[in-house]
This record gives sequence, structure tokens and C-alpha cells, in this order.
Amino acid sequence: MIEFCNVTRRYGSKVAVRGLNLLVQPGEVFALLGRNGAGKTTSIKMLVGLLRPDEGAIRVCGHDVVKHVRNAVGCLGYVPDAVFLYEKLTGREFLEFAASMRGLSREESEQRILRESQRFQLTDFLDTLTETYSHGMKQRLVFASALLHDPRVLVIDEPMVGLDPPSVRMVKDLLRELAASGVAVFLSTHILDIAEQIADRIGIVDRGELRYLGTLAELQAELSLPHSTLEQMFLELTESNGRPPRIEEWRIRGADWPSEHKSEETH
Amino acid sequence: MAIATSADELLPAESEMRAFRVLRWRIVRSIARQVMTEARFRAALIFALSALLWLGLFLLFVDGLRFLGSVNLSPDLYLQTVSAIISMFFAALLVMLFFSSGIILYSSLFRSRETLFLLTFPARVERVFVHKFHDAVLFSSWGFILLGSPVLAAYGVTAGAPWYYYALTLPFILAFIYVPAAWGAACCLLIMDRFPGSRRKLLAAGAAAAIVVAAWSIWSTFARTAHDFLTVGWFQEMLGRLQISQGKVLPSWWLTAGLLAAAEDLWAESVKFLFLLVANALFFRQIAVGIAEASLRRALSAMSSAPEAHRIVRSARQWQVLERLLAGLPLPVRLFLIKDLRIFCRDPLQWSQFLIFFGLLGLYFLNIRRFSYNMQYAAWVNMLSFLNLTVVGLLMSTFTTRFVYPMISIEGQRFWLLGLLPIRRDMILWSKFTFAALGTLPPSCLLVFLSDVMLDVDTMVLVGHQITCLLLCVGLAGIAVGLGARLPNLREESPSRIAAGFGGTLNLVVSTLYIVAIVVLTAVPAHCYLSGDFPMLLQFLSDRSTAQWWLRAMFFAGMLISVVLAAIATILPMAIGLRAFRRLDF
Repeated sequence: MIEFCNVTRRYGSKVAVRGLNLLVQPGEVFALLGRNGAGKTTSIKMLVGLLRPDEGAIRVCGHDVVKHVRNAVGCLGYVPDAVFLYEKLTGREFLEFAASMRGLSREESEQRILRESQRFQLTDFLDTLTETYSHGMKQRLVFASALLHDPRVLVIDEPMVGLDPPSVRMVKDLLRELAASGVAVFLSTHILDIAEQIADRIGIVDRGELRYLGTLAELQAELSLPHSTLEQMFLELTESNGRPPRIEEWRIRGADWPSEHKSEETH
Repeated sequence: MAIATSADELLPAESEMRAFRVLRWRIVRSIARQVMTEARFRAALIFALSALLWLGLFLLFVDGLRFLGSVNLSPDLYLQTVSAIISMFFAALLVMLFFSSGIILYSSLFRSRETLFLLTFPARVERVFVHKFHDAVLFSSWGFILLGSPVLAAYGVTAGAPWYYYALTLPFILAFIYVPAAWGAACCLLIMDRFPGSRRKLLAAGAAAAIVVAAWSIWSTFARTAHDFLTVGWFQEMLGRLQISQGKVLPSWWLTAGLLAAAEDLWAESVKFLFLLVANALFFRQIAVGIAEASLRRALSAMSSAPEAHRIVRSARQWQVLERLLAGLPLPVRLFLIKDLRIFCRDPLQWSQFLIFFGLLGLYFLNIRRFSYNMQYAAWVNMLSFLNLTVVGLLMSTFTTRFVYPMISIEGQRFWLLGLLPIRRDMILWSKFTFAALGTLPPSCLLVFLSDVMLDVDTMVLVGHQITCLLLCVGLAGIAVGLGARLPNLREESPSRIAAGFGGTLNLVVSTLYIVAIVVLTAVPAHCYLSGDFPMLLQFLSDRSTAQWWLRAMFFAGMLISVVLAAIATILPMAIGLRAFRRLDF
């Protein structure tokens, strides 16, 4: 569903993402973890077609995000870390615009807006201008717009920013529900608890490189820290401070690369 | 495994176009509703001021064209002169529109979150471009319409043009605007696609080249003529110099020729030029759309890869020297002053605008003797010197409106930090006032001094001008800081948008009125005294020497009233601003 094939992206001389190989399957919640500047947002922006990889390829639902970007973004929903809303539109008008940009008919649009506004408890303020919304309300509206077209892939950058505890709970449940219905969920976060609670697999990036890819249990086993939290293991992996990391050979699993990229695999 | 879904099936072009049209219509409707319910006064004021400006320009051009008609010129020479003036005017606007639409499009396409938002939909990239392009055209051309339409209306009135001349004006203007806007957009896209890392250098080089060409054109156009002022020979010589604006390939010439033909009732000729403009507008728009389609996503991606110049700023010696120079001021004022100066000096957008305007005026003043002004008449010299003083004052008012007025709003957004500092709120405002007054005083005094020296004005006038400059700087600083504190916009982060809002507009209007009042109070008595032109006074007074004494007294009285007015213009807005700022909740 989501494929990163040996993807590298540079900003000038700085390598933001180096040789990223990753495969996220339908029905999976995948969490990309890393410190500030590790390359999480760059990976997400490449995934949604806003940035182009310097090397390698990214495919969403089988569509290359550079060559067939409209097809690729057509099957995904995206919730960015900094939300954008038209301040002079009401929540309903914003959702109607999103629905028409997704090619939904008027009837479909009405039904989906009703569904999502109920799901995200937007009905009370759906007809007021979005400039009056709190940050949490804006975030919920963007979630609703990202799900209007029943995307097969959901990409979320820092999903819980600005949400209150009930909304956080609701989003966690929703992500699991979506995964259960076959949606591939790709999220990046700083909040390790969330990844611990809802992610099927995690990826840990550090200075542009994927340091670990697998389940939490596998990570505990590899680090020989059976009862440790994700936070302890994350710090163990990313704060080596010049010391050799605990795991010498990072094992990256879960990728089933297309044959043309197999020879380029670095991990 | 690729899924065989055509991109067009995702979102048909018609639906996409409809979605954008509905979006724009809803935003416009929402803003209109908000203005009508929450900001009627502001809207009425802006409308009234725009109408006033339009009317003023219209009357000015009508008067100018009638004056031209009163000079003893043959009908052919008159028509050629009018055509040359209008062509020159629109050629200048053509260049300005090219730059402004390119820059605005860069900002709205490449620095906007809306573009990124839209590109996460399966929208056609060309549709996103057209959406933003129309925004840029609108923002860059409203001033053009405000300036250009009174010229054309004035010509229509003086030439006794038929009704369809006025009907054709709007389509001509719209088609004309599209051409330089499409050029600007295409250049912007090409630069961002091919040279994303050098965009600022290229823009600076382009702007510098445009300034050099403009300066050279003005220099060569207004240099001394071999013939006497306003004679037939003078007109012919000037027409030869303005030939550059009459190039048959210039859209500005098509616009002029088309409308002049309509004014002469040659409708077929006029419509031919309109079609020519429309065809070119559509052609260049399509080229820009094609470039966008091929390059926009790539350019956006490349822009983020371009290495940012990480400027390492060391604690420079000049700041230490400045700190010592300002030792007499209270510590908080000093600290705020140095902080604001540092921000100003490190933001090229701010100091470059300041430098360009003051530099251009300085160049003009330095070359004032080269222009064909009649320097032997004291009245003429005196009038020119006061006009120059007014221009410097107006320039300062744009500076205080654009940079000083928004400062309080910007500081207000950081009030969580400032509010925790152990300083009185008043100190923040006084520091802004000091920054504005001290920042505008040296360049404006220098410019006015330069103008006076080049014009060789009387010493009394020179001293009077320096005092007037001081009064203007202090008063304008008081108005900008006071109104900025009274009408802060704490939601907007862009200083230019804050300046363009109601408070900024009001600040500009009040500043302009203040400048006019101060200059009139000092200029009129001095002008009468120095020119010896005081027939009204002589009607009441027995002899010339008494009248001169009275005029001298009036000059000093004018200066004194100016001082009082400046004190009011400084103290009153500052008092209002301080009161509002103390009560402000953040």
C-alpha cells in the first residue's frame, strides 16, 4: 500500500532522509518515530507528493508519487502537523470544498459530511467560520476532511497536537478502526505512548536513517530489555552520543521490495 | 501493482473548476458580509478615500489635458503629445506590473500554506496555479486600476469621446493587466524551477537593472532642452525623447492606440487593438499555465532543497558603539531600540525598501539642476523646495505606516514574553517612538538639506525646512506609535497586512493630513515673502515694507503654530496609545 524504495532526500548538503526502505501493508498502523530534524516530516511530505525524492521511489496504492501524483494523492488522506483552513469559510463549506476536490457527488458529500461531523463532534460549530475555531476544533475538522473520501491510506503528521484527552482517545480508537477496515495508517509522532498503544509496527529514524523497523516486542527482544518502555528503548537507540549503539546490525524487516530495487538495498 | 484509475476520473476538470469557483465566491461573500456587519466605517472610509483619490487624479489629469490644449499646438502635435504621455504612463505601469505580479505570485504560490494544502488533493497543478495567479493579478493591479482609470476617463472627457470609449476602457485595462502579469508569473516559475537557490540574487539583479534603466530614461527624458519651455520646438524635442514608450510591440502602446482610436470614433481600429491585446493576454497566460504544469511541483520541491544562507551574526562593534551613544536613555528604551534596529538591519525587505526610496529621491535631488526647471525665479525655486519637502514627508509617512505602525501589533503577539519582563508597558511604546523618530530624522533632514543646497534656497528657508523636518519626524512617529497601540491587530502576523488594514489606512490618512498642514503653515508665508507676490496683502496695507514685515511675522507665526500642531500630533496619539496599551489584554 505504501512503499518507500531506497529513498534519499537532501536539503543542500544535508541528507534529511538516507536510503529509506519501507513497506506498510493495508490494515496496518505504522508509526515513524524520531527526534526533531530526524527526517519524519520530510518522509511524510515525500509520501504525499509535496517533496520529491532525490533518489529512489515512493508508491502509494501502486502509483508512483512523482510520475502519477494525482492518482497517488487521490487514494490518501493527509493530516499535516500545521493545519491549513480557509478562515473565511465555515466548517461545512470547508468540508464541501474538500469533498468536491475528491470528486464526490453532492449526495455523497452530504452523507459523508454528516458522518464525519458526527464522528468528530463537529455538528455544533459546523456552520460558523473556521477563524473562530480553537486549535483542537481545527485539528478535528482536518481529520474529518481527510476521511471524507474513505481513503485507503491515511497519513498523519503529529496526530494528537492540540487535541483534548477525549479527542485523543477517539482518534486512537478511530485509527485502530480504520486499520481494521483495511486502511494503511502511516503516522509520525513524538509522543511515544501513542505509538506504543496503537502502532502495529514502529520505525525509528535518527539523522535521516532508519535505525529500527519492527514491532515493539521485537525491539524489546533485540535490545534484551524485555520489560522496558518504548521511551527507554527509543533513548537507547537514538542517544548513543558517540558510543557504539547497542544493536550493531539494525534489522529491518517487513519490506518486500520490488525486484528492481533489491540490488540497491542498503539495510 | 498499479491500480488502473485515470487521474481524470478522480476529479473531472469541470468539477475542479466549479469547486475553485465556489471556493472563491464563498470567501468573497463571507468577507463582504463581515465587512458590512463589523467594519462598515472602515469600508466606507476606504471607499471614500479611494473615491477622493480617484477624483483628485481625474481632475488633475483633466486640468493637465486642458492646459495642454490651451498651448498653441497643432491638432496633430496635440494628439501625438497626449499619445506619448499616456503611452509612457502605461509603459511605466507595465514594468511595475511585471515585477509586482511576479513577486506577489512568488509569495502566494511558493510561500503559502494554501498551495501546499491544495497540492495534497488530486487537483491539476495548472488549476492551482490559475487560482493563485488570479489572486496575484488582483493584488498587483488594483492600484493600477485606481491610477490608470482616471487618466483614461480624463482623456475621454476632454476629447469628447463617444460612449463606447468608456465601455471599452475596462476590457482594455483587464486585457492589458493580464500581459505583464503573465510575463511576471512565467519568469517567477522559471526562476523558481531553474535557479531556486539564487532567486533573491536574481530578483535583486532584475530590480537593480530596472532602476538603472528607469533612472537613465528619466535622466535622458528630462534633461535640458534646446528649446524654451512649452514651445512647439520643446514639445517636438520631448516627443522624440518619449519615442521609447511608443514601440509598436508594447502592450502599453496597443492600449493607448486602441483607446485613442475609440476617442476619435474609429471603433473598428479600436476593436482591432482590443483583440490584439486579448489575444496576447490569452497567449501569455497559456504559456505561464504550461510552465506551471511542467514545473510547479518540481519547483516547490526544489525550493526546499535550496540551501538557506545561514548567516552567522557576530556581536558587531557598531552595536556596542550605539549602546554607548544611547547611554542617556532609560535602559529598557535602549534595549528595545537596539533590538528593533537589529531586526531592521537584518531584514533586507525592510532596509532595501527604505534604501531604494531614499536613494532614488537622493539621486533626484542631486541632479535637480540638470532638469529643465527655471532656476532663476525665486518663486519657482521656493515652490520646488517645499514640494520636495512634502515628498520627503510623504515618504516618511509610508515608512512609519509600513514599518512602525505594525510594530505594536507584532510586539503584542509576543506579549507573553514582554509582559513578564520587569518593565512598565509605557516603556515599550516610548522605545518605539524613539526608534521611529530617530530612524526617520537623519535621512529626511539630509535629503531636504541636499534639495535646498542644490536649489540654492534662502538660508531662512533652509533653516525653516530643517525645523519642519524635525516636526514631521516627531509628529509622524507619535501618530504611528499611538495609533498602532490604539488599533492593534494581534491576529495578523504579516506586517504588510497589518499596515494594509483599517488602522494602517487611518494612519496614512492622518499622517498625510498632518504633513499637508505643517507644510502649508510654513510654506505659504515663506513662498509669498520670498516671491514678493502678495497682492491681497497690499490691498489692506499701505506700503510694501509693512506687507513684508507682516509676511515675515506670518512665517514665524506659521512656524510657531507648526510647533504647537506637532506637539499635539505627538502627545495626543501617544496619550491615547499609552492608555489603550496599558489596558490591553493579551
